[in-house]
Amino acid sequence: MPASEIYTIAQAPVTCHAFNADRSQVAVSLNSTDVQILTKKGKDWVATDVLKEHDKTITSIDWAPNSNRIVTSSQDRNAYVWQLTDGVWKPTLVLLRINRAATFVRWSPNEDKFAVASGARAIAICSFDPENNWWVSKLLKKPIRSTVLSLDWHPNNVLLAAGSADMKARVFSAYIKEVDERPAPTVWGSKLPFNTICGEYSSPSGGWVHSVGFSPSGDALAFTSHDSSLTIVYPSDSTPTTHSVRLPSLPLVTLAWTTESTIVAAGHDCQPLLFTSSPSSNNSWSLTGSLDSSAPKTAAKASPVGRLNNAAFQTFKNADSRGAGAGGAGGKGEETELATVHQNTITSVRAYSGGVGEVGEVSTTGVDGKLVIWSVDSGSVGGLVGKLGGMRM
Amino acid sequence: MDVNFRKIDIDAYDEDVLHESELYEADPRDPSQVLSEAKAKSASVRSLLSKNDISGALSAVLESAPYGPNVEEAKIVTLQTLLTIINTTKSTEISGVVKSLPQDDQDTLMKYLYKGMAMPGWGDISGSVLLGWHEKLTEVAGTGCIVRTMTDRRTV
Repeated sequence: MPASEIYTIAQAPVTCHAFNADRSQVAVSLNSTDVQILTKKGKDWVATDVLKEHDKTITSIDWAPNSNRIVTSSQDRNAYVWQLTDGVWKPTLVLLRINRAATFVRWSPNEDKFAVASGARAIAICSFDPENNWWVSKLLKKPIRSTVLSLDWHPNNVLLAAGSADMKARVFSAYIKEVDERPAPTVWGSKLPFNTICGEYSSPSGGWVHSVGFSPSGDALAFTSHDSSLTIVYPSDSTPTTHSVRLPSLPLVTLAWTTESTIVAAGHDCQPLLFTSSPSSNNSWSLTGSLDSSAPKTAAKASPVGRLNNAAFQTFKNADSRGAGAGGAGGKGEETELATVHQNTITSVRAYSGGVGEVGEVSTTGVDGKLVIWSVDSGSVGGLVGKLGGMRM
Repeated sequence: MDVNFRKIDIDAYDEDVLHESELYEADPRDPSQVLSEAKAKSASVRSLLSKNDISGALSAVLESAPYGPNVEEAKIVTLQTLLTIINTTKSTEISGVVKSLPQDDQDTLMKYLYKGMAMPGWGDISGSVLLGWHEKLTEVAGTGCIVRTMTDRRTV
């Protein structure tokens, strides 16, 4: 049974990707100034449209499933909302009012707002102004001290999580009077005027925060940071409960919750890792395996050298231990491929199928130009279920 | 080419500059207290070493190791203590000792190994001993441990 669908969509790094609602099209940026819309034809993804308007590298794309609008952000400090009218994608400029690159963009769950992170130590919360027929923004500024690298919306359409290069993950209120109804109280707070800080959490060993994500219920926050760790926070009135998983491998740069107790995260180690919380031991989180069954079995657990443990590395190691030139270039067909499916850093992992909180498949894209769709269950077929079964016995 | 403009401290003209102190929480202890604790630890490590309890000695010295500004002397004392331990450990014992350490201590140990490697010739630093420990520690704690050493601003 194929555990994953693998497509090589480009010979270039894929900056980010976003699928449409029925997963028949995907918007990607290949480290360039345009967005390509790929349509699935048979077993291939064929470029059917190009969105050209940005004049610097695109940093992030999000595709609203219900209103079928695309929003893009770029280093040119702009964001555009793209709408399909008479078969043509038409851009609308957004007044972001930031003076540094826009780094990340996400639609809110109701698709009536979106948030744009930026290098200007600010997050622009954008909503549509029907009178003037454009998107206006309101800036979240305090107390951000550095570039905001990632965002995630709470299911209530008001709270927003942000991960930043000042080593902090924060939860803000992005309440816009004209758009939002007064939100019901959540674990993050009850009074939520714009720019309320509902939580501020540091990475365990001072790594900048690469990605953030609310759990499906919105009652927990996970973030990955450059100190090779994944942190999960459960807020409460007194002291928040924080679980940190410190990895033996390279840092994770992107994450997606699949259920309330499982997270898939990936990054410089080139394979999506599965984390689960066990109700038996106080909901503490641990790394339970890799979705990539071709990866060395031990890699996820405690491989000391992670992605370095490939043929090329071994060649040098052997040359070192046996004296220079051992094996040589003419050896037995030197392999430089990694043992993993992705051959370079995975930059984006997103939910692909299944509803909120019961994600069955996730999609990943990376610097190697591959798009891979992983079955979250199948990751458990081999190693995981075996391990869990073993634990129960 | 005239590169004098690079000597200008542009941060001095930025009102909203990000200070080092905002990036991590400073050691809550008083510098003099940190120093006296480091010296006390040095003594207790010596007695642990005489009992051949290497894991105990390592845990003792790595526990709440001094970090941040204003504690340079305590950092040196701690480094000296740590060097005594790692220089007297037999290379066959290193693996077992490293495995017995909790994750926090493994990360701190890695910081000291890198600190040692950055000061060649200082005191009784031996490059081969440090590399031996580094190899064994990486086998146990992985590259993630090295990444944490590099990102953490709470330098030892």
